[in-house]
Amino acid sequence: MIGLSHYLIVSALIFSIGLMGVLRRRNLLMLFFATEVMLNAVNIAFAAISHYYNDLTGQMFAFFIIAIAASEVAVGLGLLIVLYKKYGSLDLDDLASMKG
Amino acid sequence: MMENLVYIALFAPFAGSLFSALFGMSPKQTFVGIVASSLLFISFAASATLAYHVYSTGAAVHVTMMEWISAGDLTIPFGFLVDQVSVTMMTVVTLVSTVVHIYSIGYMDHDKSFNRFFSYLSAFVFSMMILVMSDNFAGLFIGWEGVGVCSWLLIGFWYHKADQPREENPSISPSWAANEAFIVNRIADLGMLVGLFIIYWNVGSLQYDVVFAAVPELSGSVLNAAALALFIGAMGKSAQFPLHTWLTDAMEGPTPVSALIHAATMVTAGVFLVIRANPIFSATPEVSFFIAALGTFVALFAASMALVNRDLKRIIAFSTLSQLGYMFAAAGLGAYWIALFHLAAHAFFKALLFLGAGNVMHAMDGELDIFKMGGLKKAMNWTYIYMGVASLALAGIPVFAGFFSKDAIIETAFNEGTYVLWAILVLTAGMTAFYSFRQVFLTFHGKARYDESTLHPHEMYKFVLIAMSPLALLAVIAGFFMGGFQTFVTKLLPDYVMSDHTHHLIWVLTAVVLVFAVGGIWLAYKKYANGLKRDEELENSFIYKLLANQYYIPQFYEEFITKPYAMLSEHMWKDVDMKIVDATVDGIAKFLYKSGDGTRKMQTGNLSNYLNWMALGSVLLLVVAAISAMLS
Amino acid sequence: MDNILSVLVFFPAIAGLLGFVVNKDSARAYGITVAAIEFFLSLWLWLSFDSSNAGMQFVELIPLIPDMGIGYYVGVDGISLFIILMATLMTLIGMMSMTITKNIKNMIITLLFLEMTMIGVFVALDAIIFYLFWELSLVPMLYIIGAWGGPLRVYASVKFFLYTFTGSLIMLVGMLFMAYVYHNLTGVWSFAITDWYSLVLPVNYQLWLFAAFFFGFAIKVPMFPFHTWLPYAHGQAPTIGSVILAAVLLKMGTYGFVRFSLPMFPDASVMMITPIAILAIIMIIYTAMVAYAQKDIKQVIAYSSVSHMGIIMLGIFAMNAEGISGSVFQMLSHGIVSGALFMLVGVIYDRRHTKLMSEFGGLASVMPKYAVIFGIMLMASVGLPLTIGFVGEFLVLLGFYQVSPIMTILAGTSIIIGAIYMLAVYKKTFFGPVTNEANKTLKDLDSKETWSLIPLVLIVIWLGVYPKPVLEPIDNSVKAMVSFMHEKAITQEAKDMIKVAKTDKGGF
Repeated sequence: MIGLSHYLIVSALIFSIGLMGVLRRRNLLMLFFATEVMLNAVNIAFAAISHYYNDLTGQMFAFFIIAIAASEVAVGLGLLIVLYKKYGSLDLDDLASMKG
Repeated sequence: MMENLVYIALFAPFAGSLFSALFGMSPKQTFVGIVASSLLFISFAASATLAYHVYSTGAAVHVTMMEWISAGDLTIPFGFLVDQVSVTMMTVVTLVSTVVHIYSIGYMDHDKSFNRFFSYLSAFVFSMMILVMSDNFAGLFIGWEGVGVCSWLLIGFWYHKADQPREENPSISPSWAANEAFIVNRIADLGMLVGLFIIYWNVGSLQYDVVFAAVPELSGSVLNAAALALFIGAMGKSAQFPLHTWLTDAMEGPTPVSALIHAATMVTAGVFLVIRANPIFSATPEVSFFIAALGTFVALFAASMALVNRDLKRIIAFSTLSQLGYMFAAAGLGAYWIALFHLAAHAFFKALLFLGAGNVMHAMDGELDIFKMGGLKKAMNWTYIYMGVASLALAGIPVFAGFFSKDAIIETAFNEGTYVLWAILVLTAGMTAFYSFRQVFLTFHGKARYDESTLHPHEMYKFVLIAMSPLALLAVIAGFFMGGFQTFVTKLLPDYVMSDHTHHLIWVLTAVVLVFAVGGIWLAYKKYANGLKRDEELENSFIYKLLANQYYIPQFYEEFITKPYAMLSEHMWKDVDMKIVDATVDGIAKFLYKSGDGTRKMQTGNLSNYLNWMALGSVLLLVVAAISAMLS
Repeated sequence: MDNILSVLVFFPAIAGLLGFVVNKDSARAYGITVAAIEFFLSLWLWLSFDSSNAGMQFVELIPLIPDMGIGYYVGVDGISLFIILMATLMTLIGMMSMTITKNIKNMIITLLFLEMTMIGVFVALDAIIFYLFWELSLVPMLYIIGAWGGPLRVYASVKFFLYTFTGSLIMLVGMLFMAYVYHNLTGVWSFAITDWYSLVLPVNYQLWLFAAFFFGFAIKVPMFPFHTWLPYAHGQAPTIGSVILAAVLLKMGTYGFVRFSLPMFPDASVMMITPIAILAIIMIIYTAMVAYAQKDIKQVIAYSSVSHMGIIMLGIFAMNAEGISGSVFQMLSHGIVSGALFMLVGVIYDRRHTKLMSEFGGLASVMPKYAVIFGIMLMASVGLPLTIGFVGEFLVLLGFYQVSPIMTILAGTSIIIGAIYMLAVYKKTFFGPVTNEANKTLKDLDSKETWSLIPLVLIVIWLGVYPKPVLEPIDNSVKAMVSFMHEKAITQEAKDMIKVAKTDKGGF
């Protein structure tokens, strides 16, 4: 029987994968993907806990996150394109104009 | 009427000081000295009238001018009390001061700071009058500090002289000696202040009458503490061991100053304090005995240093120190009126002696070494007589004033059964006679030991010699007023009479003292009257060197107090203040600055790094949250 | 004139703003005129002050933020009255004696602005207003040191600013917490000091609040070990800066202890007597020794200030009317005397452009008038009776003797070591032969210098001989405050320690 803990473990694993992506990747696009992975890991956790408690709030929140993620990707990708046009690269190591 | 006289006696010297100060920076004007002296004479006349008034009516004059300090429950007025004790002091002080003022017109004749000198000198008399006339301890303290400052100004009067090594001039320089005197006196003044505090918090007032009335109700420990603290104050002003070094160094001041301040008046302030506060000291026999013992010790100690000294003024200074010891011995043994009588008699003959020394100095062009004098008798006949009379009085030869007063002190020591003190005082009397006449003979007798081709000693001005005559007269006759003096002051002071036992032995006792005194003079005559024969072996002996160097006490103070203090100060500043306290402050500032500089490197501009930091931070926060959740 | 205090506070500031349109050449005359008017206004305040009334007078209250209990609330009592007078006097005298020619207009405007902040601090009865003026006073002083100072001026001014600012921030936290506690206990917000007085706090609250206020005040005083900004500030500041700093700004710290710490936290104050007395004694002895080691005359006087402030601190914590009145009087005495001494050092610095004692010697022969005035101030500084310096020092030591004889004797050494360093300065500078060629032609005090110093000499002697006109109002307010503290104290130790004067008339 697959229980809540299984879902949460999967969620945690996926979140960790996403986190590692955020930490290790140098390409901004890949960072975006990693963020999406983390968001979805959270979604899984929300849905699972929602089901477990028989409370729809969590699933509603998951939908909400999906909606936000979609709009974020739309804005974010637009910005990435502008950035790429300006600097010709999406590598984070090249984008260090804020160095203190 | 009498109230006005009190104010005249007090403020005439002040007026003289202000008047002279007006001309303080202008060249010499003789009338400044004359005006100051006349005002002093007015003050003397007022004091003498008051003395007669107090004598004839037996009642004290008490005036309160105004309130001075009032805070909390403390109220200190400017109040002045003219009773038997203070009027004696007032008369003595103003009389000696008047003579010294007139003397100074002649003595300071060639000094370009003539006017300034009179301003200081009159200011001193004013302070001294406040000291003796005040009706409370705080007012006494005003005068106490006031005379301290005037003494500072007058010792350092020739401030322009440079410092010299101690071997060449034991006092280093006038300004050095002035500072020494002020600071040493300040040490004692702290004791005095503490005495005032003890009295105030236990009695609630600093007025003499209130305090003395409250003495029977105070506990023994309080009284002991108060008496000891007050006596520490007296030790500074009266230069008692171990605070004595400043007095001989104070001889750097002009000679009239030495006569007035460092012999006749200011240094006796300590004795005056003990006499004034006699109800407190009478109630504390242990402290009083300590005073007597210390006084006796100082009498001997100072006399021993005078035996070998070669400096005319320093010898007299040591003898002053020794005589102050006698006064303290009498006061400590409870014979307050005898102490006061010796104080007055001593003021007359010691001032005379100093003024005579001033004449010699004037004649010898500033030379002070008695080994380089001799044979001055011919040129300075009057001075010789004056100094001879003063020395006879000091040595305690019958008829002269010192005989009566000093003898009474020695008898007191016998009468109290303190035979050790008695023996020391008798021995000291012999030494006193010896060193006084050693000085007289070396100065005036024998052949001249100076270069007669360049130096032509001459007698002082006539008016100066005439001005000195009252002192000479008093040095001779003052002793005859002893009985009258006793009835006068014992209206206020506790009477002290010898027991029958002592009374029976009085002739024997007097004879013993006389044998020592005459023996001292005779020894001095044998050794020095016919010129100086240097004894190399004696002069190189350990004892002689010890005495000539004042038991190495000034050197000791310099090595173990002055220099370490300066070194410690230097360390405090450079090592503690700069390297610890300030460095800590700067260290904190530097730490903040450095940490800012260090954390600046986190700002790489690289988003990836920032994300790493962010993740690390989140993990840390989670850990903290988890730990705190577990703990609670 | 009911709003005389507001006039006193804002007149210099408004005059300072108008100063921008004044011609550069007449700026100095303008400044002196304004300062003189201000001084006479403060004299008028004294004349109309009711000496027998121990409470706050000339009170003005304009609510600013009624919901938070913050208002423009000012008033004076005997304690603050004379510090205000001293502030206006020293500003006037400082301006009269000023020899600065560079950017004179800016200096005048800055000084007038500084005068506003100083008076503001001493009249404020609302903690926020007090804090505002307290912090604002840093700005003009920062500017004066930083713009007209010596070679190290930037370091010195920044150190001064940051150090005192840090302390003030801790004090601000204390004030906010105090207001919060007041709100908790009474249900209303108030920053009025008089409201805070009436609040009886538990002892642990008192201790924390005392500590917070302590840092603000102690750094300003400056107490050991927070004193090291002072020698730098004095060493680098121009004469006028040192005069104002020593005379008035330092007094803000000690005034704060009297105005806030004592009546608000009587139990904590009593508990802190020993630690503070130890710090004060260290200040007195240690800084006096450091002063003796200095080579620079101005540094000697700077360190001597710390030593004298130690006496003031000791008196404040004597917990009896004698000590506290003496302390407040000593604030005035120190203000006048150290101000005058800094001016005197300025005189010689203007002539020789050095303050090192080794450069001088024998000045008494060359500059007799200067030597006389320096001598009088020196004697006042070492606390000679019949000068202003004695009254305060005597009362402080007398008062503290009741708390601890041993500590009083230790503190009393100040009369010895104070004399040691001051006389050493005098000997090195004024006595001995004139050895340095450059000193042989020095001019004595000119009329400008003389006339700015003479009033101070007169005050030094007047208040030494007849301190009553000043001491009496101070004493009335202090006695009332002491009995108020006695009433308010909750622990028995504090009640025992705080000694109510028998002659108290009340009215705090």
